[in-house]
Amino acid sequence: MNPDPNEPGSPGSEAAEPKAARASVPVWLFVLFFLLLYWGMIYFDQRSAWADPQVYIPYHSAAELAVYQSRLEGPDISRGQLVFDRTCALCHGPDGRGKPGQAPPLAGSDWASAAGVNRLVRIPILGFTGPIQVNGQQYDFPTGMTPIAATRELMSDEDLANVLSFVRQAWGNKASPVTPEQVKIIRDRIGNRSTQLTAEELKGLPENM
Amino acid sequence: MNYGPLLFLAAFFALAGSWFGFVLTPQVQLGQLQQTNTVPAGATYPVARPGLGHQGLEVYRANGCASCHSQQVGQTGTVCDVVLTDAGTNPPALIQTLLQVRPGLSEAEAKTFLGGLPKPVLERVTKEAADAATKALTVGGAKPQVWIVPTGPDIARGWGKRRTVAEDFLFDYPVMLGSQRIGPDLADVGARLPDANWHLRHLYAPRLEVKDSTMPPYRFLFEKRRIERARSPDALPLPARLAPEAGYEIVPTPKAKALVAYVMSLRADAPLFVAPLTVAAPPPETNAVPAK
Repeated sequence: MNPDPNEPGSPGSEAAEPKAARASVPVWLFVLFFLLLYWGMIYFDQRSAWADPQVYIPYHSAAELAVYQSRLEGPDISRGQLVFDRTCALCHGPDGRGKPGQAPPLAGSDWASAAGVNRLVRIPILGFTGPIQVNGQQYDFPTGMTPIAATRELMSDEDLANVLSFVRQAWGNKASPVTPEQVKIIRDRIGNRSTQLTAEELKGLPENM
Repeated sequence: MNYGPLLFLAAFFALAGSWFGFVLTPQVQLGQLQQTNTVPAGATYPVARPGLGHQGLEVYRANGCASCHSQQVGQTGTVCDVVLTDAGTNPPALIQTLLQVRPGLSEAEAKTFLGGLPKPVLERVTKEAADAATKALTVGGAKPQVWIVPTGPDIARGWGKRRTVAEDFLFDYPVMLGSQRIGPDLADVGARLPDANWHLRHLYAPRLEVKDSTMPPYRFLFEKRRIERARSPDALPLPARLAPEAGYEIVPTPKAKALVAYVMSLRADAPLFVAPLTVAAPPPETNAVPAK
């Protein structure tokens, strides 16, 4: 600081102690700061996505990101496998080979890989009991299979389609997938019914819908 | 005048502000990050690196690889391709639509276009244009698809297919993002160069594989051994000017193998919700669990 000229004594003398004086902040600095703040707010508003951890540059919002998601064509096989492991694998085995006295094999089964799905879709909805011939081998299940997908609350149309598509394409099976629309139509046709299916009844149905 | 309290407050707020911005906010955003699923396949991502790869991370760290190689791919935009996968049952109608969707196309070209699908109909267009074209092309059972293609200088260099995100580094400690690019970015090198022998030769003598490479050779990660009964299957095939004298061979040490396993485990090409990208659909057989 320059010495105050009003102070007594000449510059360089002991009395000329340097002092800080007060000065008013120029108005343009306030204006500049407010403009900078405003620009910063707009920048934050446009690019921050409100600190959403899902949104990275070059995207600006979760909604914009959702537009770019690719949708799955056809059945969700990995979801089907999840449902199978939780629900079906207990009796049919995680490898689809079935268990003696409990369930017939699904791997390579002529029922599971049938060209049409009209019979297959009904089995988890209604359950099954009695003798059945799979791949030329005779099985008998007196207690049978409980209707694990009896209602949509137990298993949605989508999940049933996914799990049946998985069964039809896993373990070397190579059959067409099942769509939720097919499941919906068959469920509507079945309506209310609480008795299990038998092999004779299934054979009486057309294979294709 | 006593400026002590003012200076203290200024320093306190400056430090507190940066602590909130650079420590607390990232911790709140990403501190609880978990494994996620790829979109749309739903596979768990990321999975831990293989054991040898995890050891290789320590070798990568110890040799200061991160001083010259970054592991972060940037992205500046996203465009869409419209790919026709199936011509459907009404080719004449589809050809008419193709002519509308792609103005530069002549009728003869449009007819030959339908052979050898899938083919891109439109490339590098906006999402809106791609959706409109897809809607128009869905005639007579034809199947157009919209492919999401990230863009940016790093992606144009082939360093990655999409930007890197926090999930890519979930199992790495420390995360070695790197800040200098004296060498190329390595975030996706495992997908780009999937040959372990290439990496071993490159570590031993970089200019064998990359002309004018500025990378120093890492020969201390290799061992010169006398050939005892037979040549080791691991021995590096080297040109005459680099080969050791007769009766000796150059073999990688466990450190070199671990480093290569780590480098090959560096992949950032999974399509995630936070970084969408279309990858070519795998052949349908791979969906099935292999018969046991």
